[in-house]
Amino acid sequence: MGIQILLHIGIVMILSPLLLGIIGKTKAFFAGRWGPPLLQPYYDIGKLFQKGNVYSITTTWIFQAAPIVCLAVVLVSSFFIPLGGLKAPIQFWGDIILFAYLYGLARFLMMIAALDTGSSFEGMGASREAAFSCLAEVVLFLDFIILALLSKKFVLSEIIEGNILSSWPLFGPVLLLVGASYFLVLLVENARIPIDDPAIHLELTMIHEVMALDHSGWDLAYIYYGGAIKLFVLGGLFVNILIPYHSLSSVMQTVMFSGGMIMLALTIGIVESCMARLRLNRIPLLLISAFVLALVGGIVVLVKGV
Amino acid sequence: MLLFLILLPLFGGAIAFVLPKNQQRRTILPWVSLIHLIGVGSLWKFLPDTQFNGFLGLDVLGRLILTVVSLLFVAVSFYLWGYLNDEEKHSDRIFMSSLLFFLSAMTLVTMSRHMGLLWIAIEATTLFSAPLINFHRSPHSVEATWKYLLICSVGIALALLGTLFLAVAATSVGTVFLGALLENASLLSIPWLKLSVIFLFVGYGTKMGLAPMHTWLPDAHSEAPSPVSALLSGVLLNCAFLGILRVFQICVAAGQTAFAQDLFLIMGLLSLLVAAIFVIGQADYKRLFAYSSVENMGILALGIGLGGVGLYGSLFHMINNAFAKGMIFLVTGNIYQAYQSKKVKDVKGLLGSYPVTGIFLVMGFLAVTGVPPFGTFYSELMILNAAIQSRHYWVAFFYILFLAVIFMGIAESVLRMLHRGTKGQTTGPAPPMAGPAHKEDLRLILPILFLGAIVLILGFYMPSFLDDALKGSSALLGGR
Amino acid sequence: MWLELALILIIFLGIIILGNNRLGTMIQLFALQSFILSMTPLLVHPGIHAVIMTAATIILKVLVMPSLLFWAIRHVSIRREVQPLIGYGKTLILGGFFIGAAFFISSKMDLPVKAISNLLVPSAFSIVMIGFLLLVSRFKAITQVIGYLVMENGIFLFALLLLEKTPLLVEMGVLLDIFVAVLIMGIVVNHINEEFESTNTIHLTALRD
Repeated sequence: MGIQILLHIGIVMILSPLLLGIIGKTKAFFAGRWGPPLLQPYYDIGKLFQKGNVYSITTTWIFQAAPIVCLAVVLVSSFFIPLGGLKAPIQFWGDIILFAYLYGLARFLMMIAALDTGSSFEGMGASREAAFSCLAEVVLFLDFIILALLSKKFVLSEIIEGNILSSWPLFGPVLLLVGASYFLVLLVENARIPIDDPAIHLELTMIHEVMALDHSGWDLAYIYYGGAIKLFVLGGLFVNILIPYHSLSSVMQTVMFSGGMIMLALTIGIVESCMARLRLNRIPLLLISAFVLALVGGIVVLVKGV
Repeated sequence: MLLFLILLPLFGGAIAFVLPKNQQRRTILPWVSLIHLIGVGSLWKFLPDTQFNGFLGLDVLGRLILTVVSLLFVAVSFYLWGYLNDEEKHSDRIFMSSLLFFLSAMTLVTMSRHMGLLWIAIEATTLFSAPLINFHRSPHSVEATWKYLLICSVGIALALLGTLFLAVAATSVGTVFLGALLENASLLSIPWLKLSVIFLFVGYGTKMGLAPMHTWLPDAHSEAPSPVSALLSGVLLNCAFLGILRVFQICVAAGQTAFAQDLFLIMGLLSLLVAAIFVIGQADYKRLFAYSSVENMGILALGIGLGGVGLYGSLFHMINNAFAKGMIFLVTGNIYQAYQSKKVKDVKGLLGSYPVTGIFLVMGFLAVTGVPPFGTFYSELMILNAAIQSRHYWVAFFYILFLAVIFMGIAESVLRMLHRGTKGQTTGPAPPMAGPAHKEDLRLILPILFLGAIVLILGFYMPSFLDDALKGSSALLGGR
Repeated sequence: MWLELALILIIFLGIIILGNNRLGTMIQLFALQSFILSMTPLLVHPGIHAVIMTAATIILKVLVMPSLLFWAIRHVSIRREVQPLIGYGKTLILGGFFIGAAFFISSKMDLPVKAISNLLVPSAFSIVMIGFLLLVSRFKAITQVIGYLVMENGIFLFALLLLEKTPLLVEMGVLLDIFVAVLIMGIVVNHINEEFESTNTIHLTALRD
């Protein structure tokens, strides 16, 4: 088990910035540019690790603890999902709730760290993050409930592995609804367009990035790295839900999983190229739409019976 | 014969659309409607068999309503002859052909023996009457037309859903032909029948102007040209009523009379309540009589809901009301032409300036509110009788209360219009705005006289053929 | 399975229409919804009736009505619903609530007809309710027409249940009626625009008691 965990950590740490690189390349392609190299996120993180930290005198230990805890928490969350042929190293009854709340913990720490700076911009970002993510959390849980209902299991990797497969022929439409609403949650959680634009640095419109304004050096690298891993893990879950590959051989599983992840990155890149960032007051609307979609899926499952 | 009656106005309308001059169109209209009336009259000798695989057919009830439609249409078409001369502004091509298409659609409503066809016919009446309401093309009439179209279309969409539910309920019958449904009513699935009855009730009730869905009615009636208001109020509402009665027939046959009657009672009382509230202090005399239509539709529903004598009374009231409403709206047409205003306060000294119109207004007012010796009085009395016989004392109490309130509300406005007013009120702009130059045109008088005479005669004397028809129709609805 | 996919997509599009404020997008979404809808007769009872229904629906609801509506919005040059009566978020939540109610009610009614899929009736109810919601919560005349059409789509869905039984005549009549209704509504929309220089039905409040 120790080996498995180390393997998971290794894969996640090594591959996750690549996802960001693919997204960046896709966007550059659609904009007709050559764009930064595929490995640019690695360079960025590496560059940040070479710098020192600067701390404001008003901050306390919370500010310093938050980035490292965030990174640790998202790494832990990756233990609950299978990555291609690799089984999930940790699984127990109810881990689905732990999975959801690990992100809650990360978000909580980021928010209080942002408040810790005493900066009005960061406070604004924290309040937005809180408002939108509390809407997103409802949707995420609704999706999990539907999946749990479909499989009658309460262990994340079992839900994914065994039963998505058997549900596809009968409940394909429901899984599509779940996929659609989960995709919106994914965009919100990772602060992608059309929710938030990670490239813009205008405090008034930023949501997620604004909270990291005062972080520097290693801390900032942790936050970037954590964000990349978060996208990787949540994206991995998305791929696991939508692609029923779990009965194949483990090599094929790995191939399918990697293909799915690349497709996901391309999709996000395309969505980001096609859409503009939404106005802030439209974001709750999007989340409510996601909620209603998930709700319809849930109702359908209940009506059809499992 | 049945097909002829449907096609005649249809062709008439098509010809009217092609004809180049307003004058020619105006002469076609009375002729077509007269021939239509003669054709309808010939149906009273015997009832034709159903035709077109059972889609078309006429029963006693349908024939009764068809006759009312045709008679009122003749009166209105002659009235229009005189009325439209004053509104020579633009071509009335669309108006005239819509009018004739409207007649055709209403004829089809009375002849439909298939619930789907009935739905199509009622929807067609909505579509053809929309251009009629929009005749003046003023902002107000556009607003009224929009509300009319939208509310009635939504209502009619619900009715379509209800018809589909009915088809689901009739799975074991296999069709939604009225005859087959009535014969095999015991095979209907009751929960779906109930659901369908509620939807059809709301849907056709919207068209009929029953209370919570009546909101289009005052607007449409007040903004349409008066002859059109007369048609809307006198016959269109009755066509929708026929739609509801067909549903009621099915309910009776399926043994769900009590359920349907409760619906009728609730809607009826609600309509009376709404009419009573809005009649008081109504500033617009056409809206005033439009609310009186809501009231009378409520009375019809109440009569059906009470059953027994109420069925006969309700059908009788439907006839009386059609003619009385036709009459009063034609009178308002005369008043509007004389004063160019629909406000009660602008009309003063009617009895002095236009004695004939004034007297007709009094007559019409007494007729629509149900004062003896008009036929409406007797039909309203029958419904009261039915309420007491069936021990619905509370219903009887509210019925009398609302009728009294509505009578007083209308009387107040009408009396103000008749007289020149007291000193304190003459401070406003000088009355008769159009001046006394207007002579009362005979063509605008005779149709009113004709309709008034019918209501009056029905108050004294019930022809035996009408009595038979009413008895036969109420027997269809489960009365004895 | 394919039918259910179509039904879910139709509901999905209904929800998206409900949350949208651009009239052009709404019309496109409606056309898409109608297109998926027009495929359903083929999935339910393949046969000559179904083919005719599909063809008629594609012509009327996918081609003619959207282009009429586009013509109307070009003519009156409005692009979006400015201020709905009930906010978008609230309508969406209400919509979700109504869908739940639709599923609940239809689970209480047992069908005498052999149902093709037990999702058909609840989805039909849901679409009717979404259309109704759209109709009552918006002020623009065109949005109201779209709401009416969405409602009609729901009714169409319900009529699928009876495709074998109801004669074609009635179905055709229904489609034609809807078409004429939209035509006349379009003309009236145009009149509203001429008279008020806006197709906002909020201006239509002169007539009241």
